[in-house]
Amino acid sequence: MKHLFPIAAALLLGCQTALAAPPIGSQAPGFSLPDANGKTVSLDQFKGKVVVLEWNNPGCPYVKKHYESGNMQKTQAAARRDGVVWLSINSGGAGQQGHMNGAQAKAFVAGQKAQPSAYLLDAQGVAGKRYGAVTTPHMYVIDKAGKLVYAGGIDDKATANKADIPGARNHVLAALGELKAGKAVSVATSRPYGCSVKYAGG
Amino acid sequence: MALLVLIGLQTPLRAQPAPGSNVAVSLLPGASEAPAGASIPVAIVMKPKPGWHGYWKNPGDAGAEATIAWDLPKGVTVGALRYPVPERLIVAGIMNYVYEHEHALLTELTVAADVAPGTRLPLGAKLDFLACTDKICVPESAQVSMDIVAGAAGRPPVKDPRFDAFEAAMPKPLGVDGRFVVENGRARIGIPLPATLAVADPYFFPLDYGSLDHSAVQTVSRAGDLLIVETKAGPNAAGLATIAGLLTIGKGQGLLLTARPGMVPAAGEPIGATGGQKAGGPGVIVAALAGAILGGLLLNIMPCVFPILSLKALSLAKAGADEGGARREALAYTAGVVLVCLALGGILLGLRAGGAAVGWAFQLQDPRVILVLLLLVTGIGLNLAGLFELPAIGGGSRLAGRSGAQGAFWTGALAAFVATPCTGPFMGAALGAALVLPTAAALAIFAGLGLGLALPFLLLGLVPALRRRLPKPGAWMNRLRRILSIPMFLTALGLAWILGRQAGVDAMALGLGAALLLALGLWWVGVRQGRPRAWLPLAPALAAALAAMLIVPLEAPAGAKAQPVLQGEMFSDEKLAALRSQGRPVFLYFTADWCITCKVNEKGVLARSEVAKSFTSRNVAVLAGDWTRGDAAIGRFLAEHGRSGVPLYLYYAPGQEAKILPQILTVGDLTGLGT
Repeated sequence: MKHLFPIAAALLLGCQTALAAPPIGSQAPGFSLPDANGKTVSLDQFKGKVVVLEWNNPGCPYVKKHYESGNMQKTQAAARRDGVVWLSINSGGAGQQGHMNGAQAKAFVAGQKAQPSAYLLDAQGVAGKRYGAVTTPHMYVIDKAGKLVYAGGIDDKATANKADIPGARNHVLAALGELKAGKAVSVATSRPYGCSVKYAGG
Repeated sequence: MALLVLIGLQTPLRAQPAPGSNVAVSLLPGASEAPAGASIPVAIVMKPKPGWHGYWKNPGDAGAEATIAWDLPKGVTVGALRYPVPERLIVAGIMNYVYEHEHALLTELTVAADVAPGTRLPLGAKLDFLACTDKICVPESAQVSMDIVAGAAGRPPVKDPRFDAFEAAMPKPLGVDGRFVVENGRARIGIPLPATLAVADPYFFPLDYGSLDHSAVQTVSRAGDLLIVETKAGPNAAGLATIAGLLTIGKGQGLLLTARPGMVPAAGEPIGATGGQKAGGPGVIVAALAGAILGGLLLNIMPCVFPILSLKALSLAKAGADEGGARREALAYTAGVVLVCLALGGILLGLRAGGAAVGWAFQLQDPRVILVLLLLVTGIGLNLAGLFELPAIGGGSRLAGRSGAQGAFWTGALAAFVATPCTGPFMGAALGAALVLPTAAALAIFAGLGLGLALPFLLLGLVPALRRRLPKPGAWMNRLRRILSIPMFLTALGLAWILGRQAGVDAMALGLGAALLLALGLWWVGVRQGRPRAWLPLAPALAAALAAMLIVPLEAPAGAKAQPVLQGEMFSDEKLAALRSQGRPVFLYFTADWCITCKVNEKGVLARSEVAKSFTSRNVAVLAGDWTRGDAAIGRFLAEHGRSGVPLYLYYAPGQEAKILPQILTVGDLTGLGT
């Protein structure tokens, strides 16, 4: 017989939408989302390419750490140079802190000189929950075969302090480098750190 | 020097909280003077504004651990930060391990032995932490400072009384390792915990990222002395050598433990349940329900229930062949039984949800309830013995004649209520298991228990063929009734004994006195039987019973409480010092309800008669300290003896320092002491 979790907690958990984190090595879940220009972007249109997913919330201090220092832009540029597709995704629900419409997203990308292939708007949190995205930033790397090969933080210094960036291991760049060299990704998961994703209805 | 000490005493009161932030941070020393070569506790007190929270060491799915950079003078070092028991906060499905209220992180500050007494020691720290609401997060930084003074070596530091509360909020080391297994993406952790310990809202907080999925629901079950937590494994769970974490067992009560790979029984195999079922499936609940019905059925032959039931059944036979009436009565009786079982179960679940550590037959923990039962059972016994006639039970009289169904309903309710003292010993564990099921399933099991209890009478009412097989009513029935009063009086005897155990000999005398008054009142009623207002004499008896209930002591007087296994006294520093100054050998032990090693030692060694005999013959005084709730004085004593938790066994030979005994005791360890 199963002793279910005490009632109060079960009720509390029962009313939330489940976050499903796909395991490393599994097929990356597909999604179709509007970008900042209103154009629909699907994951499956990038078949055969390496794809990086970056969960973004412009108001989060941890996101600011990596944008204001230029670290995120540098990572994006390095990835794009190697033909990697970079999708920034905002899963902030309407009315939540960090939620943006298309115009705001375009202004953010331009203002930060960010270089994503596309900035996607996921106000319903569909893609976010499918990937189990819990923080901003939360990073995922998908290989050419469409398999998830990395999920976690952008680096191993879980702080909001820009001064920690130079000494940190950038897990995304490291994974991309290993993929390029035909090697297995040595650090396939790490603790994602940052603010929690502000899903709708939270 | 005196001046410096004076300054030293004042400075801690001026520990500065950093202004303008969402979490006020201040640095608080446990003592104004730190003896050279010794340690004092230091607290970082964090007070979030309403709606804000700070994070535990493992912040959960989002958030961040606080980091601290100390600025310390030469000769001063600090240890790692210790975190109090955290709370859970789920925002939009994302789990956060947080503190929403004022809390203190603790560490030990050590002053080197070569620091000259009187040296002023300015301490500084920069704390970086994340403050969040459910909407926004703000990384904050607090610069805090304070001065302490180095004291002369060996002088005991003055402790700030607030530290007792800080220390009590800390998790306690469980003292034994748990086991875990990861299979098919699920992690199962087995945690040794005495089966007797009631836990409320248990939850396992993993210390490290990646071992468990923070946001997934945890299902918790008990299997004997093992508590099993099952949940979704985290991304790094495969191949882990250890899973460390904190198990909460009640509000603010947490146990720290490390689990290592090993066998863990599948979740949901509580004591007595059939194995091999898929956890939580409907089949399991049906099996548990069947068990409850069977248990209820067995209750019918318990001494406190059998007389009521058998007489009721006979009265049904006597009532003749009125088919509809018999069925109505049987259904009403069943309704009475089931409703009382449901009510008791419902109250129990409510209390549990409210965090009270209660088990089945919880109502018997209150001496007033025992008193009521004692009087009730005495009354029933006297009725059976023929002292007076009672309409509802005797049958065939006014009330039952007027509305048989109503009388049957109350008989059922009475039977169920009176049955609870008998359920405790042999149904307690199984019903305890029911408590962790979802409310509806748990209530179904309580109802099943009632149904089982009502079943024989229900069958008699519904199946005329069965009724016809009952023996023909006759004079023998009265004889049987007299005989059946014996088990009732035995039950009363048992209840009086429980009352005495619970509330002392005075309460027992009070209860027996009330029972005597009741008996006299009922005797008088019996004499007046048949006259108008025959029940009048009962009024003074009832008033007396009520008065007894108001004055019955709720707890046993000191010393008469449930004793630690050895006849010993409660530990205090003063008592220990007093006994030692008398030159008596002292055996001192510390225990906690959640400590499995303690319980094993107490049952297997301390409770042995050889040990008691050996201690008595040598006049060894026994002191016991209970650390279940994290008593601060005991915590300090443990720390002074190099322990962070229980068990701890000490022996003081006359005039000598403590000898620390092994954590796993043997009888020889104790009988061999002082020889």
